[in-house]
Amino acid sequence: MPHRRVVERPSLNRKVLIAGLVVVVPFIVLLVMNLGRDPRKVDSPLIGKQAPPFSLRQVGTPAVVDLAALRGKPVVLNFWATWCVPCYAEHPVLVAAGRQYEGKVQFVGVVFDDQEDKIAQFLRENGTSYPTLFDESGKTAIAFGVYGVPETFFIDANGKIVDKYVGPLDPATIEAKLRLAGAFR
Amino acid sequence: MTSRSLFARLLVGALLLFALPLAAQAPARSDEVKAPDPKWIVGEPAGPPLTGVELEKETARVASLLRCPVCQGLSVNDSPATMAQNMKRQVRDLVAKGYSEEQALIYFEKAYGEFVRLEPPMRGVNWLVWGAPVALLVIGGVFVVFVVKRMQRATKESSESAQRALPGRDTLPDDEHLAHYVLRTRELAYGWPGGVSPDSRETSGEVAR
Repeated sequence: MPHRRVVERPSLNRKVLIAGLVVVVPFIVLLVMNLGRDPRKVDSPLIGKQAPPFSLRQVGTPAVVDLAALRGKPVVLNFWATWCVPCYAEHPVLVAAGRQYEGKVQFVGVVFDDQEDKIAQFLRENGTSYPTLFDESGKTAIAFGVYGVPETFFIDANGKIVDKYVGPLDPATIEAKLRLAGAFR
Repeated sequence: MTSRSLFARLLVGALLLFALPLAAQAPARSDEVKAPDPKWIVGEPAGPPLTGVELEKETARVASLLRCPVCQGLSVNDSPATMAQNMKRQVRDLVAKGYSEEQALIYFEKAYGEFVRLEPPMRGVNWLVWGAPVALLVIGGVFVVFVVKRMQRATKESSESAQRALPGRDTLPDDEHLAHYVLRTRELAYGWPGGVSPDSRETSGEVAR
């Protein structure tokens, strides 16, 4: 009977439409939700956890710096390398901040995937206000989940990682992150 | 002894004097330098320490399960990047100490997040990644079977109704009076006794009247 077919068609189309929407809508929602997200940014699972303990030798000296010994004040742990161009721009900012917050905050540089004489030369040429350690095996960088350089961890006085910053720092960001780390309490 | 050989001996002696304390100092220094201890992150090793060929095999296998963080598409085992090579060295150290595959993966996961695993572990939302393709395949299969059966049924029904609608050699009108004339006409025209075709007579074995 021809009139029955006319009734069936729209109901089939509605089913197909609903099935299509069920598949497509979640993808559209995911896309819209993540439009403003930086795909390179992966949140560190270490935030809120104790910083992995390590001790590394200070570049150009036999002195060994132990992270645990720095407890009592916030630590800014900056991973960098001499071959990294953004690190050149960041270095004077960190040196100035190291001087500005001296006594309140301990700045520490960690260099990996590099050569010690090159680091020493860089520090001689560009100056420094805090110790720079050499992570020759790169194991400390791995334990901190470092992807590249520069990456900076802000650790509070109790040794807990409060934040991580990827890319070159500026004075305002340093201040904001130090506030998080409880440097101005 | 010539002055030249005396000079050479003095030089060697002087070098040894400088080199010995350095050599003595070096191991002492490396003892003090401590990378974060895996024990602090994943506890005691689950298995026995590995060496030799077994160690290399296990290192390559575990490293192939880890994503190189700077290349993203490659495993730590396949990537030539320094970062990946450092990570592979760390995998070797862990495996050599007896850490299991899962412990090694957790060691990296705690620092880099789940992203560092090339295969998402079967837990939480990740079940979707593993389960969805199978579920979709089953749902799709059921759907295809359902549609094909419905199409077959529709084709069969329409061909049956079409056959029913087509007049055959022995089709008779519903009107009995008219049917009588049709049978008579067939008898006269074709010489079929009673107006029934010979085929129909053979198959049914009786005469339709």
